[in-house]
Amino acid sequence: MGKYILRSLLQMVPVLFLISAIVFVLVHVTGDPVNLMLPETATEEDRAVLSKALGLDRPLYVQFGLFLYNAVQGDFGHSFHYGQSALPLVLERLPASFQLAGAGMLIATLLAIPLGIISALKRNTYLDLFISGLSALGKGMPNFWTGIMLILLFSVILGIFPVSGKGGPEHLVLPAITLGAGIAAQMTRLIRASMLEILNQEYIRTARSKGLLETVVIFKHALRNGLIPVVTIMGLQFTSLIGGTLVTETVFSWPGLGQLLVSAVNTHDMSIVQAAVFVIAIIVLVVNLLTDIVYRYLDPRIKYS
Amino acid sequence: MLVVTGCGNAAETKNETQTNGGTASAPAGGDKTTLTIANATDIESFDTHNNNNTMSEAVLVNVFDYLLKNDAEQNKVPVLATSWEQVNDTTWRLKLRDDVKFHNGDPFTAADVKFSLERVAKDTALKQNTYYKHIKEVNIIDDYTVDIVTETPDPIMLNRLSRMGAGILPSKYIEENGIEAFLKAPVGTGPYKFSKWTKDDRIELVKNAEYFGGTPKWENVVFRSIPEASTRVSELLTGGVDIAAGVPSTDIARIEGVDGLSVEQAKIQRVLHIIMRMTEGSITADPKVREAIDLAIDNQVIIDSIAGGAGIPTRTSVTPGNFGSDPSLYETFEYDQERARALLKEAGYENGAKVSFSSSVQYKEVAEVVAAMLTDVGFEVNLEILEASSFSEKLNSKKFSELFLLGVGNSLFDASNNYNRFKKENAAGETDYNNPEVEELLQSALQNMDLADREKQYQKVQQQFTVDRPTIYLYQMKGIYGIGAGIGYTPRLDEMYYAEDITLK
Repeated sequence: MGKYILRSLLQMVPVLFLISAIVFVLVHVTGDPVNLMLPETATEEDRAVLSKALGLDRPLYVQFGLFLYNAVQGDFGHSFHYGQSALPLVLERLPASFQLAGAGMLIATLLAIPLGIISALKRNTYLDLFISGLSALGKGMPNFWTGIMLILLFSVILGIFPVSGKGGPEHLVLPAITLGAGIAAQMTRLIRASMLEILNQEYIRTARSKGLLETVVIFKHALRNGLIPVVTIMGLQFTSLIGGTLVTETVFSWPGLGQLLVSAVNTHDMSIVQAAVFVIAIIVLVVNLLTDIVYRYLDPRIKYS
Repeated sequence: MLVVTGCGNAAETKNETQTNGGTASAPAGGDKTTLTIANATDIESFDTHNNNNTMSEAVLVNVFDYLLKNDAEQNKVPVLATSWEQVNDTTWRLKLRDDVKFHNGDPFTAADVKFSLERVAKDTALKQNTYYKHIKEVNIIDDYTVDIVTETPDPIMLNRLSRMGAGILPSKYIEENGIEAFLKAPVGTGPYKFSKWTKDDRIELVKNAEYFGGTPKWENVVFRSIPEASTRVSELLTGGVDIAAGVPSTDIARIEGVDGLSVEQAKIQRVLHIIMRMTEGSITADPKVREAIDLAIDNQVIIDSIAGGAGIPTRTSVTPGNFGSDPSLYETFEYDQERARALLKEAGYENGAKVSFSSSVQYKEVAEVVAAMLTDVGFEVNLEILEASSFSEKLNSKKFSELFLLGVGNSLFDASNNYNRFKKENAAGETDYNNPEVEELLQSALQNMDLADREKQYQKVQQQFTVDRPTIYLYQMKGIYGIGAGIGYTPRLDEMYYAEDITLK
């Protein structure tokens, strides 16, 4: 296991290199940031001067070499937009992103596990149909709409939760529900399907025929295996939440990584884009590794060589 | 489409909102000490020399002072400078206040003026450099007197000194700690001190009890950045913010339906242009085609249908409040579909005149309506809607073809800023506008210290533009602000929020 983790960590190095190279090239071929930084009244001469001041007049491979040399030391350059080092700007957004993604996942899990199990146990009943309908609804509602409706109902009309911004835990409730609803819908269906498959298997029938209590059969034997695909989905969802909660962040004015990344793309703030993608890549790789480890815990048959 | 859904539901909940009016007005009681303002975007940084948008300046004017500033009617009034005079064509002498302290306790002196203005004039990497680069040097006469020396005569020096790039920074503090440290803990001379900045969320300012202009009105001023317009409106309805900028015209009734809340519309320094290429060989090189485009567009219909009435039709971008404006071209437009069709025929385009028309997503709806109006009179429009960054990229590399839609602001409050794009040197490759007479007027006005004559020069240029039509104007935009219960606020032409001018009613 230790060896496996070490090898996985080493494998991250070429992956990160590749990602940096791709992002670097994409960011540099899609336009000149100098054009976006200067006012409309700027002359050609102004452009040349600023280009030189920022080192953008050098050949691309020289710029990439310098970028890598500095990136290894944690220096992703200066943000044109904020006039500050890029990496700290990205890192200071992480807590907000983790909070929102974590709260969204928590709500999704709390909803999906019981609903999925009930749905599977009571399959083809009205209850199952109701839960299926609910998850279809949850999947179909765009985050944007859910968020605005929640604000109207719980903030404007009922006055229970604050409308937007980042503050105490009360600020987290509505955006977390907005994020969690869609994921819960997907997870519920997955758990239902996965539980149904397992409940039909030989070892469950054996357990039942041995006269074990139904709760023991469900929770000790079936659920543990039924959760394996769910863990994969949770891992995938969590990583996509870290960088991709833009719509929810925008509706609730939540200062996360998604907002930073998109505004950086719009202003062509290259160093922020590079630092943010790099940080997100590391999170994805680490979460994937953690997912593998949880797998092994849930199903000891999975071997890592 | 989603926006429409949201608004439809908003209308349905209006009754509930009204009964909830008590909640909305509750926080604005007599003991209210915090002013909260919501904008759509965050500031760029606390470096007034390295910012490039109005929203940033609107916040920073509360922390940093200028030597002089514009009052609500665009008159220059003293701030850090007490008086100013022109010594000769290239030298301005300013007397400074001797009772001003920066927020860290450092006294404000001529050294800070020299440091600040020379920094923005010499450092070409700063976003404001282009407005100040012709300042040659700032000479310290004594601790409270400076001479600003320019390379060439500059009739609009005072306009430059009363805007964003001329914010006065603490020289000693920055020289000792460096600019990065300053950006983390910025220090100015203004009525409010920096307290906290959570990017893309909020900026918190506290009052500067030692402000030279008297004790500030508010204990705390908070600027929140809320990108989603319906969220800003919801914050206003629940009393979460006192002023919400950028209210969608569809939400006006919803706000006015709540007791105590109000909506203010105010002209802003931004005019929508349709810029046309006059390059030999392009269809818009023909003056008849350009005239037909002008006549095909019903400006008022666009204002009413897209902007919810928040706009003023104009035939010039030098609107009242700016130096050099020509009132005869304001609040008017030309519209004659029949004549437009006839002109196209005369120009030889009976079987359809193909034009391409580019716009950024920001003005998508306006562009679509314009395209429909052009189609009505016989154009075949190839409409191209671009993302903000690809639009800017194409704009600055001059890659647009016949027509493009552009909102142009003017933070200098001077006609020179409106015509930079059309000077021969800059127009090359974009509009390719070249009228030697206009060029001479523009070049001369840049250094003309006889202001009355200078004003006439710009008025001549405006009249000539209505004939040449290198660009036509759709309308001057208006800002729509939602104002919370008990708050007294008159929005300004320059969109600044001087917290000191915002009051409790």
